[in-house]
Parts: sequence; structure tokens; C-alpha cells
Amino acid sequence: MKKRGRLEIIRDILKVIQENRNSIRQTPLIRKSNISTSKFKEYFKELLEKGFVKEIKGDSGERKVTLTPKGFNFLEKYKTIVNFIEEFEL
Amino acid sequence: MHNLIQGIGTELIYSFVIIVSSLMIYYSTKEMYELSSYKGIKYFRQAFLLFAIAYFFKSFIKILLVYFGTSRILDINIRYMGSITLFMFMFFGSLAVFYLVHSLMCKKWNKKSEIVLGVFYMISILISFIIINTREIWVFIGASLFILAIAIFGLYLTHKQSKEKKKKGSMHLIYTLLFLFWILNIIDVLIQIPSYFYQISLYLASIGIFLTILYKVLKKTGSN
Repeated sequence: MKKRGRLEIIRDILKVIQENRNSIRQTPLIRKSNISTSKFKEYFKELLEKGFVKEIKGDSGERKVTLTPKGFNFLEKYKTIVNFIEEFEL
Repeated sequence: MHNLIQGIGTELIYSFVIIVSSLMIYYSTKEMYELSSYKGIKYFRQAFLLFAIAYFFKSFIKILLVYFGTSRILDINIRYMGSITLFMFMFFGSLAVFYLVHSLMCKKWNKKSEIVLGVFYMISILISFIIINTREIWVFIGASLFILAIAIFGLYLTHKQSKEKKKKGSMHLIYTLLFLFWILNIIDVLIQIPSYFYQISLYLASIGIFLTILYKVLKKTGSN
């Protein structure tokens, strides 16, 4: 299996959130993103800092992760970014 | 008088097109970099910002040469104006080439990437100092060929890498032409070639390369 790059991992994490009606707890997010917990923590910190995701409290008080408009924008532009990197051989 | 206006006019139009193209490349990739934080995109867009600065100094030098009616920028001694402008032009120009090479190579260099960039800065400063402290044509040509050699070597390495990964890419030829014509632009500043046809051909080819890159960038970024 091909090793995923940084951008691909970010896309996968954000996509899992989006596909779960934009609200998911951290534990299933880690499992569904197919990534180790330590790696997830690194990426999750980056996603929070960049404002791609935010943490909210669910109806029963549990902490959930949700996408911000910037996170949706990343998912929308992901293909364009990857195509650009490939075209310009960066 | 007519030749003076014609010379300055041609220079201004040429620089304007290149500077605007470079800045458009820089700004149209801004969102893409902000979203991805991808280093290759960062150095790619900074390379074009540096090209814009270098072309600004190039046009300034050429206008000074036409205005003072001299063929060598270092002959203009008003408060070291000639030396300072030439230094800026050489520094930003060399750095632009190195940044573009770096944008292609930084993934491969990974953690050594910052060290390599530091080396590129030092080489650019060194070359610029050598250029302003000499009047020998062979030193000018040697320095220009040295920059070109580093650029072509960087391109060769990335080309080899993309061949191994069987990646299809059409940019190597454009990058090679960009580097080649940038070197001819440096030589155009350092050694005056008294041929209007040569100048116009050089300018048109350089504009063509920048507009091709701009077109590809706008097409890929989806900017209008």
C-alpha cells in the first residue's frame, strides 16, 4: 500500500468528519482516519491551529470535532492543490 | 533624444509585463499556500516575487545606462548608485533562480532544506560582491554560467527523480528556458550587446516564458 503524504492525511481526516454529518468524536475519528494516535495528535494540533476544525460540545455533553468553513474550503480545493503540485513538479 | 525615449520606453514596457506576470503568479498561489502550507508552493511563489524585484532593478539599471549614455553600470559613480543597483539586481536575480530550484528540490532535501537555502543565500551574496568588484567580462560570464550550472543541475536531479517515479511533467523545458533566458538577461545588463534585434528577441522570448508560466498557473489555480 502506498504511503500517504501529509496533504492526503489531512484530506482523509477532514473527509471523515464531513462524512459523519460534520460532527464526530475523536476516538472514532482516529480509527476511521487509519492513523496512529501519536500521529493523529500531531495532525489534529495543526488542524486546530490552522482553523480547519474546532471542538464543540455535543447534545449529551461529549466533545466532538467539526469542520470550519476553512476546513470545507480545503476539501474543495484539495484536488486543485494536488494538481498544481504535480503540474509544477514541486 | 528619440533613441533615448525609445530605449527607456521599450525597457519600461518589458519590465512592466514581467513584473506584473510575476506578481500575478505570486498572488494567485496565495490561497493555495495558505491552505496547504506546502513548502514547494511557498518557495515557488517566493521565486516569482524575487524575479519581480530583480526585474525592477534590471529596468532601473537599463534606464540609468540609457540616461547617462554609458555602457557599464559601474561607471555611474553618483553616490555608489551603480554599484548598489547592480548588487541588488544580482542578489535578487540569483536568489530567484535558487528559490525556484529549491521549490523543486525541497521535498528531496527535507530536513537539510533550510541549510541548502542558507548556502544559496551565501552564494548569491558572494556572486553579487564579485560582480560589483570586477570589470572583467570573463568573470561576468563565469558567474552567470555558475548560476546556470547550479540551476540545470537541480533540474536534472528532479527530472531523474520524476522519471524514476514515472511522473509526467511538462515543466522541465519551461524551467530550463526560464533559467537560460534569465542568464541572458544578466549578461544583457553586464555586457552591452549593441544590437536592437538581439534585445527585442531576448525581451520577447522572456515575456513569452513568463506568460506561459502565468497561463499555466491561472489555469491550474482556477483564477480568472
